[in-house]
This record gives sequence, C-alpha cells and structure tokens, in this order.
Amino acid sequence: MSEPANTASTDTRPAAGPDWQPRIIGFLCYWCSYTGADMAGTARMKYPPNVDIIRVMCSGRIDPELVTTAFARGADGVLVCGCHIGDCHYITGNHKTMARMPLLKRILLDLGIEPERFRHEWVSAAEGEKFSKLVAEITEQVRRLGPLDWPGLMRTRGVGHGMDLKAWGE
Amino acid sequence: MTADRPPHRPQSPPAEAIRIGVFICHCGGNISDVVDVRRVAEEVGRLPDVVLSTTHMFMCSDPGQMLIEEKIRELGLNRVIVAACSPTLHQLTFRRALSRAGLNQYLFEHVNIREQVSWVVEDKAAATLKATRLVRAAVGRIRHLQPLAKRRIMIHPSALVIGGGVAGLVATRDLAKRGMRVTLVENTPFLGGRMAQLYTLFPSNEDAKELLGKLIAEVVHHPLVTVHTGAQVISSSGIVGDFRTRLRISPRGVDKHLTQVGIAMAACPEETISEYNFGLTRRKAIYMPYPGCWPQMPAIDWRSCTKCGKCLSVVGGKGIDLSQEPQEIEIHSGVIVLATGYDPYEPMFGEYGSGIFPEVITLQQLIRILDPEGPTAGQLVLNGRPVKSMAFIHCAGARQYEGINMPQPSGKVNDYCARTCCTATLHQANEIIDRFPDVVIYDIYQDIRTYGRGHENYYERASERGVRFIRYDPRRLPKVRHDPRGERPVVVMVQDLLTNRLDVEVPVDVVVLATGVIPHDISELVDMYKCAVGYDSFLLEVHPKLRPVELAVSGVFLAGSCQGPMDITECSAAAAAAASKAAALIAQGQVEMDPFIARVNEDRCSGCQTCLTVCPYEAITRDPRKGVAVINEALCTGCGTCAATCPSNAIQQFGFTDTQVMAEVEMLLADMMPAPLPTGGSHE
Amino acid sequence: MSTNPNTATPAAKLKIAKYWAASCGGCDISLLEIGPNLLELIKIADVVFWPCAADFKYEDVRNYPDGYIDLCFYNGGIRNSEQEEVARLLRRKSKSLVAYGQCAADGGIPALANLKTVKGIFNASYHDNPSIDNPAGVEPQPVTPSEYGDLEIPRFYPQVLRLKDVVPVDYEIPGCPPQSDRVWEAILALAGGQVPLQNRNVKVACFDKAVCDECKLEKRQVRIKEFKRVHTSIPEPNWCLLEQGYLCVGPATRSGCGALCPQAGMPCEGCYGPAGDVVDQGTAMVSAIASMLDARTEEQAQAMIDQIADPVGTFYRFTLGSSHLKARK
Repeated sequence: MSEPANTASTDTRPAAGPDWQPRIIGFLCYWCSYTGADMAGTARMKYPPNVDIIRVMCSGRIDPELVTTAFARGADGVLVCGCHIGDCHYITGNHKTMARMPLLKRILLDLGIEPERFRHEWVSAAEGEKFSKLVAEITEQVRRLGPLDWPGLMRTRGVGHGMDLKAWGE
Repeated sequence: MTADRPPHRPQSPPAEAIRIGVFICHCGGNISDVVDVRRVAEEVGRLPDVVLSTTHMFMCSDPGQMLIEEKIRELGLNRVIVAACSPTLHQLTFRRALSRAGLNQYLFEHVNIREQVSWVVEDKAAATLKATRLVRAAVGRIRHLQPLAKRRIMIHPSALVIGGGVAGLVATRDLAKRGMRVTLVENTPFLGGRMAQLYTLFPSNEDAKELLGKLIAEVVHHPLVTVHTGAQVISSSGIVGDFRTRLRISPRGVDKHLTQVGIAMAACPEETISEYNFGLTRRKAIYMPYPGCWPQMPAIDWRSCTKCGKCLSVVGGKGIDLSQEPQEIEIHSGVIVLATGYDPYEPMFGEYGSGIFPEVITLQQLIRILDPEGPTAGQLVLNGRPVKSMAFIHCAGARQYEGINMPQPSGKVNDYCARTCCTATLHQANEIIDRFPDVVIYDIYQDIRTYGRGHENYYERASERGVRFIRYDPRRLPKVRHDPRGERPVVVMVQDLLTNRLDVEVPVDVVVLATGVIPHDISELVDMYKCAVGYDSFLLEVHPKLRPVELAVSGVFLAGSCQGPMDITECSAAAAAAASKAAALIAQGQVEMDPFIARVNEDRCSGCQTCLTVCPYEAITRDPRKGVAVINEALCTGCGTCAATCPSNAIQQFGFTDTQVMAEVEMLLADMMPAPLPTGGSHE
Repeated sequence: MSTNPNTATPAAKLKIAKYWAASCGGCDISLLEIGPNLLELIKIADVVFWPCAADFKYEDVRNYPDGYIDLCFYNGGIRNSEQEEVARLLRRKSKSLVAYGQCAADGGIPALANLKTVKGIFNASYHDNPSIDNPAGVEPQPVTPSEYGDLEIPRFYPQVLRLKDVVPVDYEIPGCPPQSDRVWEAILALAGGQVPLQNRNVKVACFDKAVCDECKLEKRQVRIKEFKRVHTSIPEPNWCLLEQGYLCVGPATRSGCGALCPQAGMPCEGCYGPAGDVVDQGTAMVSAIASMLDARTEEQAQAMIDQIADPVGTFYRFTLGSSHLKARK
C-alpha cells in the first residue's frame, strides 16, 4: 500500500567474489538457433563460455517452467532462442513461444528478476554472428548485475531448513 | 487420491541397472587442442552409473564406431554418450553404431563440444569446464531415456503433380518413365503454362510452342499418366506415403465432337481480356489461347459465359454442353510434386508510367507482339502505331529497395533478382535487330546478368549491333514522362552512371519494362501442405545446397519457379531432380520417421482443449466419448509445442519429456543446489 | 483400529487434532461444514487439540506421548517461529500430519506476502497507514523487557513457508477452503485404513485432473481476443469463461471442488493448486493462456499480455509458496 517503489531487497548475502562466472542456460531450437550456434563455431567466432546450451526440436517445446526451474536452481540468466516468425521448421511452433515469453518475462519482472537476465531472441541458421554477439551481450549484462543464486537466497529466507525432524515411523 | 511424487524423477525405477558408456572425441585436435578431453573423461567417469568414460582420436571413423560397438558388447552398456562435433553431422552415424551392436539407437546422447565449445571458447580451462558440464548434463538426461522405435509408413506407389507448365510436365514425364503412376493436374483448361506464351527460346532460338508440344505429347500419351485440366485442389489430408487430395474439376463445356471451332467462337457475344496475351487483346468466353494448344479444343470460361447458347445453336448442338457441373474426385498418392510456377510482376499504377502511358508495356507483352502467331502477327506495332524506337528498363519489380520502390499490398518490396529477365530482354533486343533493323533500341539497366551458358553472347551482340546501354543507380529510378518536345510519345529521364552521372532524356515510342517474377498465389496449398515459405514468398526448400527440391514436409517436392526465379533450363533440371527424389521415395516402399512424437496421458487429460489449436499440423483432436485429447501419431512431426502447452502435464514428447529436459537443467546447475536433505523434505 | 461406531470402544477412537497457523479461520469452518457428519465424526474420533474450537494449550500437546495423535490437521502458512515450533511439536506427537488447506500446502494467500519485504510489511502495518496512530514509531520487538521479565514474541520470518518446508508431511488437502464433502471422504478413508497413515506429500480430498474435467461450460475452441473482468462485463452463460476472455485458471487447477465457481459465472481462481504432478501452477497457466491468444504478431501478443493487470497475483494466487521461485527477490 505504501511501499516504496524500489523495494529494498532482503538479500543479505555477500557480494560475488572476483572468480565468479555468470551461469546462463540457453534453450535453443534444433533447426534454426542451434544450427546458427554451430555456424558461429564453424566460423571460429569467439564468445564467452557462460551459456550452456540445451537443445529442443522447436522453441515451441520451451515450457515457461523450464525457465523458472533454471532460475530456481541457480542460473544467473536464461536465454531462449527460436526461428524467426515465418521460418519455423514446424510452421507455427514459434508463434506459441512468441506469446509465452513476454508473459513469462512479466512474471519474472514482478518477482524481481532483472529483465537483462532473461532474453528471448530469434536466431536463424545463418545468424552465427548474431548468436555469438548475443552470448557476449547477455554474459556481460548478467556479469554486471551479479549472481542471482536463487537457491542461496531461498536458504537465507529459511526455505528447506529444520528438516532434521523425522516423520512418524521413520 | 493421488500420489504427489516429486516431479521430474522417473515415474518408475528402470527395469535394469543403467550402464552408461561415455566416449569423448579428440577430433584430431579440433577438440583436444582446447578441451582437456582426458580430464573431462575422468570427471565424468566418477558419476554414478557411468561404467566407461574414455577418449578417442576420431569417434566418427570406422575404428571409433567399432569401439562403441565393442564396448557395448563387452561391458553390457545400455546407454551411450558421444561428446564430439555437432549432432547435425554424425548423430545418425553413432545411432547406427548402437543399432549394429544390438542396442536401441535412441538410447544415445550426442554432446556438442566442438562447434559449441572448442571452436568458440578461447580459455582452455573454461572450455574444459564447460565440456565437463555439458557431458554431465547428458549423463543426467540419458538416465531417463527410453528405447523408441522409428515409425514406418507404407508409401502408395503413385505421384500427384500440381501444375501443368514445363516443370510439371518434365516431372510427370520422368516419373512415368520410371514406371510410376502419375496424376497431373492443371488449374487452367490448357497445359503449357508460361512456356506457351513464348515464341523463341534462348539460347537455341528453338520454337517454344513446338518444343512444348513434343513434351506434352510424351506426357499425355503415356499409359501411366492421367491428366486433369480445369482442376482445383480443394483439400488435402494425409502424410507422406498416403496423401489424399480432393480436386474440383471444372467442366470444359466442349468435347472432341466440336468440329466448327471457329464458327462457335465467333458466335460468342461475351468477351473478356486475354490472359494469354497479357491483356493486349480480348478473347471470347469460349476460347483457345493459341492454335497448337493442348487439349486441341476450346474451353468455356464459366466466369464470362452467360450460357446464352449462341455457340450451341450455330454448331447444331454438337460438341458443346453448357449444362455440365463441376465434379469432385479424390486422388490418392504417395508423393506430391508442386510445380505451380510464377506470375510476372504486375507494375503498379504509375510505376515507370505504367497505366498512365499506353506506350509503357512489359517484356511479356512485347514477346507476344513479336510472336508471329501473336496478336500483331509478329509486326512491331503497338496500339496501331509502328514502333521506331524503344527503351528497355531492367529490374521493374525486382531488386527493389524499401523506401525507394513502391511496396506491394503486403507491404514488402521484392528485393531479390529475377535472374532471367536480363537474358530475355537482350534476346528480344537481338530479335528486333534481326527483324526490324531500323528500330533504335536503348537498354536502361542496373547490371547485366546474362549468367547462363550462351547468354553472354546476347549482351555482346546487342552491344556490337548498336543497342545503346544506359546504366542507372537503383536509388535514382528512371522516370517516364510525356515528351514535352513532342518528338516521341514518351521520354525516359535517367541519370547515366556510364557517363559519370550525366542526366539524359531518352525519347522513345515504347518503353518495355523487364519485369521480375512473383510466385503464383498458392496460399491455400501452402496452408494445406504446411509448406515453409521464404520472406520473398517463394516456397522454401529444406536446404538450398544439399536438398534443393525438398520441402520440410515429407513427401512433398518442389519443381520449378514456384521455388524461385529460374529459366526453363533450370526448371527442367529442378523438375527432373524432384521426379528423381519422388521416385526414389516411392521405390523404398515405406518411409521411416523419427519417433519423437507426443502422446496424451488420458489419466491426466482434463479435456481443457487448450492443445487442440496449437498443433501446426492439426494432429490433435478430441475424443468425444472420453472427453480427452488424442494425437494422431502419423501426423505428429515432433515439435513438442503441445507438450509445453498442456497445463496438466498430460502430454509428453518422447525423447524430450519433462523429466529428460529437466534432468539436463538440474545436472547443469547441480553445483548450485544445496545438498539433499536427510529426511527428504521438499526444497522445491 | 475399528471405525464401526457400534463396536468402537473409547480407547479405539481416532485422536485428531487441528491447528491454525497463519490463516483466516476458513479451514476450521470448512471442517465444521461437514455438518451433520460432525456427529459421525465424534463417534469415531476424539479431538485432542483444536485451539480454534476449544481451550487447548500447547502444554497439553507437550504432555502427550510421541505419536499420540493419530491424525493432525495443520492449516495456515508459517510466518513466524511459533508456527514452526508448533509444527515441529505436532510432527513429533502425530502419526499422520496433514497439511490442511492451501496455506499449509502451497503457501496460499499469505504467500503473496513474499512479494513484499519484511520492512515493507512492517511499514504498512505499523507506520504508513491511515488507521494507525503511532507517532513514536513503535514496532513489535522479539524481546521486550518488562517488570515481569523479558517478554518474548515469536520471530517474524523473512518469507512465508509451507508446512512441508519445515517438517515432513504425510498428506495434503488442497483448497481454500477444502470442500467439506471431500474432506469428510478423506477422513473416512484415513480412519478406515483404506490409505495408510504414513505417506509423503500425497494429495487427498481431491481429484487428479484439472477443473475443466468437472466444469460443465461448453468449449467452442475459439481463441481469446481480449481479456475481460467480471466487474466490467457479464459472462455469457454456458460458454467457457476462459474462451470468453475471463482469466479462469481452471485448466491449471486441480479439481475436486465440483467447479463451483465457473458454474456460478465466476472464473476459477485456482484455489486447489496445480493438477496432476504439476509443481508450478503459474507457469502451467502461462503456457495455456499464451497458446490461446488470438495474436499473429509479437506486437499483438504483447498488447494482449499488457491487459493482464497482475499476472503473479492471478496465476499464483494460492500457490506462490510452491512455485519454483516462491518469492520476489
């Protein structure tokens, strides 16, 4: 009701050390974006190693739950890539992604996850350079924001503590 | 009562112990020069269920593959991971190795540590760490993989070719020669397409209609070929090997008993513009486009025909039947060849003066005029005036720029080159010099792209024989105006790059626009067959280099200019390629498809119907009796969109189940999560 | 243990308990709502601890032997140390601990407080509030010295927790509140031994499928053209509310309630939590709703999404505690 707009976080954890590396999970569709990433490799383009790629057949397979799980398990950033609209190997699979991701982004924002941590981009099989630039960009932006470490945050808030007790009969 | 199992764990424990073999490829240094593959193997070897973790110089080589086979047998491996180049290269190779060793080929994971690690990460330590993470993730995922079987579909031994132009005819002929039954359907009442609207062909100067006639004869007389003209595809269902296409056949209205063709046509009071002559002339509602057309009998254009019956009465009622109704038939075929061709670009009103000045025509119209069988009997006359000078303007409707050229109604400009028009233009220029040597010819171009065999000749000869070439900047388009001095009807104003941007005015009798091409509108077919279409609106092949005549939809092939601008030589080649591929598919007898389809768990499905409209292939329907969704596994192509959509997690995609994908996510981030709690409490 | 009221001896009666933590009282009322079956209940069970209904003390529970309570219903979320302490106490003293209602099972409405900070909550409660007159800026303190000694009050936790976040839980009864007839069925099943007293996080008093399975409104397979709210327009009867554009979370919500709200023309708010083995109700609903939008371009999709005033509040209204992310950073 009368909460200041920029709510002070209850995050009392220490800042990241100098060795910290952003951990970013990338969900790529096999036909366009994964092949685009391959193309960056074939052309020996260099980009940071911080995005670990998980491939699915179509970006339409990317359930928003995969993204929230990645954050909940400790990812500092998530990248979702699919074919450009109109180019989907499965015709309209990416139309669903197109509608899901903005709604998911809204929810992540409302939960305090900075917009730079979640990127949704269209990358075609020929856009190796775009992909390598995208990885460099998201890595840099997340590095500036610092670690998200959601599991650590939940631990400080008391989630998962006090489980030393046994159930009856155990 | 339900069991709230912790999600993303296997629903039941595996029947036998998991035994994973991990093979990490050096790729001859391509990987191992950056990634410490031995270290990765060591790290991964410590994970539970990993029975073997080793490296090899070239996994894709014969010894590499044999190593996999040996180890499967020797160690009883039931899961195999290969960490190497991209799966797009060798996933199939390694899957086959598993098959040969008697292990289900889908109990395999291919990790990309070359294109996506060693070739892109500079720091070796970071690359090694990344490779280790990715292989660990694969270990997590592979534990949950289940054996799968390829789907097999029997192929109906026949082909349907849609489009009766040169590409469709060549494809039909080649398929029939190979012993396949072919049904050729053509939308208009006559075969021949755009080739029939030409008179000589470059570079051989052969007569187009004569050549076409020979090709048509080969096709229509072949015992395995059935031809339907006046046919429209109204619906299509099915899948490769088993396509069912419904056609609506418009009646011809005329049969072979009509002998007094000329009298019948003259009696008709209805006229409309002649599409065959690109609007230069008018034709009757009962018509034949040109003397040698096929079928060799007129057809009735039902849109213009008022059924007045005058034609019927002058021929004594024989050979004409105005009462025929359209018929619907169903064609069953194993493959489909799309040969729907192109349409010439229609200049927009005002574009280079088109529509404002009657002296501005298109190259296609010029060709009709020059045709000895054409509307002017080959005389170079336009609107009654003999032509003494003319200017060709290249790239009308092609190589367009946004903001400079007028966009199409769709909002797009045609930014591609239409390829054939430079040669066609210079071919006509040479024709005119041959037959009408006094005509002054200007050729106003952006570039001369006479790329084909024997085509450059037309350019050289045109230049030698006095055609005046003016080169324009595409950002400063030539303008066509009324000639203020009255010397000639129109004047073309253009800045000539060849004379260092001199502004010239070219007074001429006729301006001929060398127009580009657009694909013939087949938006309904595109929807029906779920074809991919490129930004330029032409049909999109799977791969421009390695699979140029195949569509992503299995069993549907492309032939000719529906795929992009091309000349008759190239159309023939494409059609022959499509026929060859189609025949090869039919000859296989059956087709195998990857098993990564989706399936509905009826015990979970609430009938919310959210999935019904998300399938791009309309493979999901509702079972009214059970109130649940059902996926037609023959139509499912394995995109997984429905699996992600279902709010009850009732749909899972084989090979990409929630459990499998989540396991990858969890393993990649395993070091970030706290240790498991002693009493198994939830930290979800 | 016999449940036949005619042969049960007082010693064989079930011992049941019910505790309310951070709750509204609705769950206690829902148990009372079993109505005439209350008389059946007292034939087969003795209530040994129910502070909402009668004057029970924590001391009573501490004095019970471990495992004394057969069936303990714990409703309400866990926001302070007292609630956790009692949860642990009841866990020791109970054979079967049941998370009763959404707050205990998934965090419920209280878990929406996880979108605010403690500081923000205290500010709104004790300072910046039209009905508070607190010029000295007094806030509750964990320890306050007084002439009688130190007064201790429970510590306020930084986040609302679920019952299973602090102790192992045998069963969960979803709902806000759970529907009484389902609750009575569950009690009979547990009392009759049809399901074992010991289990881990098994959902009872509900069905497995989503609300659409119980809902009688007709689906016409149309896409959503614009979103509507019940206070600005009246839904057409007999037609699926979600298809009409009302934000009905039914497809992502467990059934068992009889789809009461949609039947009355009110969009389902999701109070039974996620269906099947779905963990995160909000992302399940995002998938469903996004797939139903009548949007052909990114701009159209964004414009429709912007019409949703509060996605977190709408899709996680009762289950923020069980979502993957659980709170605002």
